[in-house]
Amino acid sequence: MAESELTESVMTQEGNLIGQNEPVLVTGATGFIGYKVVETLLERGFRRIRCFARPTSSMSKLEQLIARYGQDAEIDLIQGNLLRREDCLDAVKDIAVIYHLAAGAGEKSFPDAFMNSVVTTRNLLDAVLQQGGLRRFVNVSSFTVYTNDRKPSGALLDESCSVESDPRRITDPYCYAKVKQDELVMEYGKKHRIPYVIVRPGSVFGPGKTQITGRVGIDTFGVFLHLGGSNHLPFTYVDNCADAIVLAGLRQGVDGESFNIVDDDLPTSREFLNLYKSNVRRFRSFYVPHAVSYLFCLLWEKYSVWSHGQLPPVFSLRRWRAEIKPTGYSNAKLKSRLGWAPKVPMDEGLHRFFDGCREMRRDA
Amino acid sequence: MLRVAIVGCGKIADAHAHQIRRISDCDIVAVCDTEPLMARQLAERFGISRCFTDLGELLSETRPDVVHLTTPPESHYKLAVMCLERGSHVYVEKPFTLNYPDAKRLLALADEKGLKVTAGHDAQFGHVARRMRALVKSGYLGGVPVHMESSYCYELGDSGYVRALLTDKQHWVRRLPGRLLHNIISHGIAKVAEFLQTDSPHVIAHGFVSPFLKARGETEIIDELRVIISEENGTTAYFTFSSQMRPALHQLRVYGPTNGLIVDQDQETLIRLPGAKGKSYVEKFVPSLNFAGQYLSNLDMNVRSFLRRDFHMSAGMHYLIESFYRSITEGSPVPIPYREILLTAKLMDDIFRQLDVQQHHDKGSSL
Repeated sequence: MAESELTESVMTQEGNLIGQNEPVLVTGATGFIGYKVVETLLERGFRRIRCFARPTSSMSKLEQLIARYGQDAEIDLIQGNLLRREDCLDAVKDIAVIYHLAAGAGEKSFPDAFMNSVVTTRNLLDAVLQQGGLRRFVNVSSFTVYTNDRKPSGALLDESCSVESDPRRITDPYCYAKVKQDELVMEYGKKHRIPYVIVRPGSVFGPGKTQITGRVGIDTFGVFLHLGGSNHLPFTYVDNCADAIVLAGLRQGVDGESFNIVDDDLPTSREFLNLYKSNVRRFRSFYVPHAVSYLFCLLWEKYSVWSHGQLPPVFSLRRWRAEIKPTGYSNAKLKSRLGWAPKVPMDEGLHRFFDGCREMRRDA
Repeated sequence: MLRVAIVGCGKIADAHAHQIRRISDCDIVAVCDTEPLMARQLAERFGISRCFTDLGELLSETRPDVVHLTTPPESHYKLAVMCLERGSHVYVEKPFTLNYPDAKRLLALADEKGLKVTAGHDAQFGHVARRMRALVKSGYLGGVPVHMESSYCYELGDSGYVRALLTDKQHWVRRLPGRLLHNIISHGIAKVAEFLQTDSPHVIAHGFVSPFLKARGETEIIDELRVIISEENGTTAYFTFSSQMRPALHQLRVYGPTNGLIVDQDQETLIRLPGAKGKSYVEKFVPSLNFAGQYLSNLDMNVRSFLRRDFHMSAGMHYLIESFYRSITEGSPVPIPYREILLTAKLMDDIFRQLDVQQHHDKGSSL
């Protein structure tokens, strides 16, 4: 090992909140980001990792990691349900840092999303209280919690921006669940002094995902409506995102902070769509100007209220502001406080993503 | 103003809260769930002032006129008894109770207390179901139904519910006497029960685990069911539940001595099947025109309902709740006759009993 590398490695270890032999828990460990968090921890030399996943999850990828790192590291696989308090107690036993990625993503009803994000988080936090000794709880949230309201078009969305506080304005179950999950974590931090950090990834992409984010547009009735136009996309490549999450659990002096995760060199929606078409598949798309999508969301929302939900409020001004409104993004806090830098440049990340998309299309 | 409470704050409670909010002269005064966070989320989103984790406390402190039970089925009987004992009318989500004896006791208690009860058979009250009922009442069938075919399917797909059910051996659905069937088929069985004439029809049930579930290692959850129901007076019915057949129908066909009907719940269409046949080639051309006209007429009605803001996905639940409340405030008959609730419970008991015997037999012969 070169001298400079050795020095960096020792410094990283010394600057960390925990040592490499202290046990770390990753919930949602089989998920798209969770798996990468486990891999990143192993790459960073952590040797005792407990991976928690639902019984329905496939453990094959984690088993591959065990095969790769098993000789040097102790990787526990626990399949359970965070809705069961006894499973939570088993999961947090002797753990120094928790990376909490498990969530009710994809749930279409508010109660289901809430139960699988908030009730599960409460159970985990209660188990932490009972167990004691936790050094940090890293809560993985989402950009969806920001209102992106009362700001001029193109203004910066950073960690100081307001988070949704009126639950009756929220029409998306995932958003509601994440807002409440964040509130709960902050409440436990304040009341019970559980040290926490909240991380909010933007739109995470990488091999394994094929969907085009709704920030670019929607595929409806065989036509792709391009909504993003010249907006910058808050992309973060999955490896970079995982690295930021891992650092949020390791860096000292950031308790109670929140961090937005986006990469450098963010492409615009139009640039991304053109690249996707030339690298993955050709399809017809129609650009919908922001004024038109705004009007559409406004009318849909009004109709939904007027008709007492005959059409559910799937399009709303809140959604327009969160996904379509021209917005700037920053990773300045991430870089300055966590010392993070994207390991995979945007071009390379997009290249790998498109390769993954092509591969999955071939397999399908 | 009717004071309403919702007990059990899961997914179906949301649908109840939405529909109750659309009804005038009622107010949701409290919600209850053993998980306080779940109670709080429902109250917060719907602006409900009181949250409880104990039904006894809710009943004492808020004294609701009506309680909606949207808890898992195994708790229905016990909670409904509590509500009736404390003077509240009760809307019990389907399945009404775990078995026929509980259903009978519950309805007897309601009568004894002078209170009203209904079951969440809301599929009976969608637009098309109501149109069908009016047509049958007008005598279109020409008499008592000769035969019925009720299909009530369920697409398993890859939903979280199904994944949880398949992997969690402690899942509450597995604890029901009829497991998955118990939680779903009451809608389709109630459609048949409505037209049966006697209280003890003969039932022959055959069920099995689909190849789809078997391939996923499932051996207990029956997701394919075929039932023959017959009465001494000659009325017969077939009931089909399937997770695999496509289209996944939610349909009732009723054949009377004169004419028949097809009611499609998914498409909200009601098609008349005239019993009289045309002569020679007329039968090859005229009925097609007739059906085309009927489908266009259904389209017209559905579009008009939509434009009138009266075509919600939960229209049946809205109508059922509104009718139930009216039966309380105005003293009109309950929307679902108790006989129909009891017969539905009895048919389900018969089906599950036979499936149990069949499964025991299958296990025995495989040893």
